[in-house]
Amino acid sequence: MDRTEALLIADLCEGDETALAPLVERYKRMVYRLAVQITKNHADADDVMQETFIKVYRSIHTFRRDAAFETWLYRITVNEALNFVKRRERQRESTIETTPEGEYEVSTRYRAQLASDPHTHAEKAELRQYVTEAVNSLPLKHRTVVILHEFEGLTHAEIASILNCSEGTVRSRLHYARKKLRTLLKPYMEASAI
Amino acid sequence: MRTKCHKIEHRISDYIDGTLSERQTVAVASHIRSCQSCQREVADLKKTQHLLKNFYVEPDASDAYYAEFTAKLQHRIEQSAPTALHQRFAAAAMRLGWQLGTQIHRYTDHFRPSRFISIRRHALPYYVLALATTLLIAALFLLTQVSLYDNGKHVRFPSAALQPAVTLSIQQDKTTVQPVGIRRNINSERTTETPSVDSGSDVWKFTDEPMIDGYIFAKLRKEGSDAVPSIALGIDSELLAYAEFPAQGAIWARLTSRDVLTEDRYALLLLRGINTGQHARQQYERKRSESKGFSQISEKLLDVPLEMLSVAAVYDPIKL
Repeated sequence: MDRTEALLIADLCEGDETALAPLVERYKRMVYRLAVQITKNHADADDVMQETFIKVYRSIHTFRRDAAFETWLYRITVNEALNFVKRRERQRESTIETTPEGEYEVSTRYRAQLASDPHTHAEKAELRQYVTEAVNSLPLKHRTVVILHEFEGLTHAEIASILNCSEGTVRSRLHYARKKLRTLLKPYMEASAI
Repeated sequence: MRTKCHKIEHRISDYIDGTLSERQTVAVASHIRSCQSCQREVADLKKTQHLLKNFYVEPDASDAYYAEFTAKLQHRIEQSAPTALHQRFAAAAMRLGWQLGTQIHRYTDHFRPSRFISIRRHALPYYVLALATTLLIAALFLLTQVSLYDNGKHVRFPSAALQPAVTLSIQQDKTTVQPVGIRRNINSERTTETPSVDSGSDVWKFTDEPMIDGYIFAKLRKEGSDAVPSIALGIDSELLAYAEFPAQGAIWARLTSRDVLTEDRYALLLLRGINTGQHARQQYERKRSESKGFSQISEKLLDVPLEMLSVAAVYDPIKL
């Protein structure tokens, strides 16, 4: 029997553990997608995903039903992923030197190839890889906002609520992220003139 | 033109998203029409957005992974479920506390009584058990704290925990021994007879002053110095002098809960401030002249709580 989302949440609130599985089924791809984009790592995303759903299971009674469950889930996922990345960064800092957050890490191979023969990169597969790398190279805060706005389609207000910051901050981060992306993607734009 | 571009720049992103107000949109559009640089900026950002929307690869995992994940999650939830009775009890108690807080919050937020009760049915016995235990503990605690009421006016407290940790005996001229309680933190392991205050590198000690009218006015001094210690001048360096006496007569009516020290001994706040000998004596004289009940005090003790010299806490004799 297909239960509606509201019913599933109500059942889960009342301790019906079987209501969790359909919710996981419904949102697993969204949570994974978000987690892996923020952590940039499948194994870490797997951990984030588990923690997210465990938190949903344990804290469902704190969910205010007048809000959208999806937004609540976004908030949990994003916060779990951000915390995970921060913890990971701290651990890394204590062991090895790493590239500081904010440095672009788009591979030099792509830059060199673009400079030599941009038409080669007109190949869609490679273009996809390049665009994806450009997004992944953004600093964590900017990347998160871009993911939520450009790919998840959330509004500034929703993102502000999820990240617990002001709409102005979201706008500002989005603006700078786009400028950085424009700089990174500029060679391709000029060469192929989309 | 540059200034105008600078002003517009931060709005271009919103302009592309269409999230500007009508007035702002008109202003930005008007500027863009007349500015080639901003036109390029808009075009580039639109191209960027186009690339992102059409060429960004959203990650996904295989169906096999999701199946494995679901099984793993289910297993973890089952594992994390409390099994032992005390674990289940603790979990239920925590849930109950959290739920009550949340529900009360919702209730006060929305005034919707229907939201007030929403508990997990299968855990109901544990909730009841947790609530009953909490109430029992609270009742036992209250019983140990409040033994009885006296004419409905004053609350008496058990005396065992309120005995001074350190007692000095001062030899008087008339060869009678007058006990002087230097109230210490009862949890402290310190047993030095002369109380001292450690203010960093210096150690300040209370001097034994001659007893006047049954009171001792202790003075904080550094060895070989008459200076008042800086710690005693701070906001957290307050001395309290209490006179303890059996409750009787007119004094009784003036007591407050702060004045109750033990079951049969009470203290009236005499001094509150930095005790610097002469100043304290003057305060005492004034207080005495104002308080007729003082003549009925049969036993007088000076009580100097050392904690007041080092911590910014409200001194409550009942808790000492």
